[in-house]
Amino acid sequence: MSVQESETPGTQGRAYWLRRGIMVAARLPIFVMAFTFLGIGGLAREAGVPLGAALLSTVTIWAGPAQVIYFGALINGVALPAIALSISLSSIRLLPMCVSLLPVLRQSAGSRLTLLYAMHQVAVTVWAESIQAIRQIPPHGRMPWFMGLAHSLVVAALIATWIGYTLAATLPHAFAAGLLFITPIYFTSTLARNAREPIDWIALSSGFVLAPSLKGIVSAGFDLMIIGLVGGTAAWLWQKRIRRHGAHL
Amino acid sequence: MTPEAWSGGLWPYFALILFGFLPSEIWRMLSVIVGRGIDEKSELLEWVRAVATALLAGVVANILLTPSGALATVPLLARAGAMVIGLGVFALTRRSVIAGVAAGEAAIVGAAWWFAG
Repeated sequence: MSVQESETPGTQGRAYWLRRGIMVAARLPIFVMAFTFLGIGGLAREAGVPLGAALLSTVTIWAGPAQVIYFGALINGVALPAIALSISLSSIRLLPMCVSLLPVLRQSAGSRLTLLYAMHQVAVTVWAESIQAIRQIPPHGRMPWFMGLAHSLVVAALIATWIGYTLAATLPHAFAAGLLFITPIYFTSTLARNAREPIDWIALSSGFVLAPSLKGIVSAGFDLMIIGLVGGTAAWLWQKRIRRHGAHL
Repeated sequence: MTPEAWSGGLWPYFALILFGFLPSEIWRMLSVIVGRGIDEKSELLEWVRAVATALLAGVVANILLTPSGALATVPLLARAGAMVIGLGVFALTRRSVIAGVAAGEAAIVGAAWWFAG
């Protein structure tokens, strides 16, 4: 670390924040990513696409659930336009995720193209790791920090996709169940770690309450939109009420 | 459509971009237009964050309720139990995500092994 970078916060250069971003990824997220994409690689192999297409799906789609839908639907022989529709429905969640990161990153983006590129990197893990942490970083360091985090995860996911594709479905059953469980347990703990104010806790728990209540009533895909809008709005209104009246939860 | 039909030429790549990448990416690109005027400290941004959080919690709950593949062989109660164990350890370790994930994973792998045998 150079002398310039070890000074008080706010004076460090872009390289410093890039490294800090990579270090955040290197803790737990990189392993979560690797385990998730091991499964996706195996699924792509099963779907009969070439390895190149499996790797391409990781850098382009870059959203675990959408990739699972894509390859899973290919295996089941679903028509391509129908696949496209269900992927689009599942990826609506990316809109509020991107919009909530956008204002935080805008200042250090430089150009609109950089901002678009940064938005492409937004996926659940990247969002969960950055939505709270990035606000503690001085504005000029945010984009390099974010890029360091996101690109480390992309590289980890690519390697895992490749390994998963090569090894294919030779995983022991219990281990395969563990791979599928990593997404729920990791995201729930990360969202809980991020939670600071009542609004976060209410939004988080409303998802868990609303999801089972809507099962069978609303068709898959649309239920998530309702959960997001109803749960998020309820949490937001509650927070406003608490602020106005000074009441406690 | 058979897997064989997929393995030839550039078609798998085109299909991926057209039917996989673009339908998903449109939401990310749209965000730049939708979020243009939103200030970092605005109430609107707080609302958007709450919507995203609730949505993600919904995604997680759905995976637990109607899982696919190997996870589906573990009964719902055991899946929920593993979640409670993981989150309990997370809370006891002063919000250590690593400890929570490790405990939850141990519980689910144990349960999957138990119910498969």
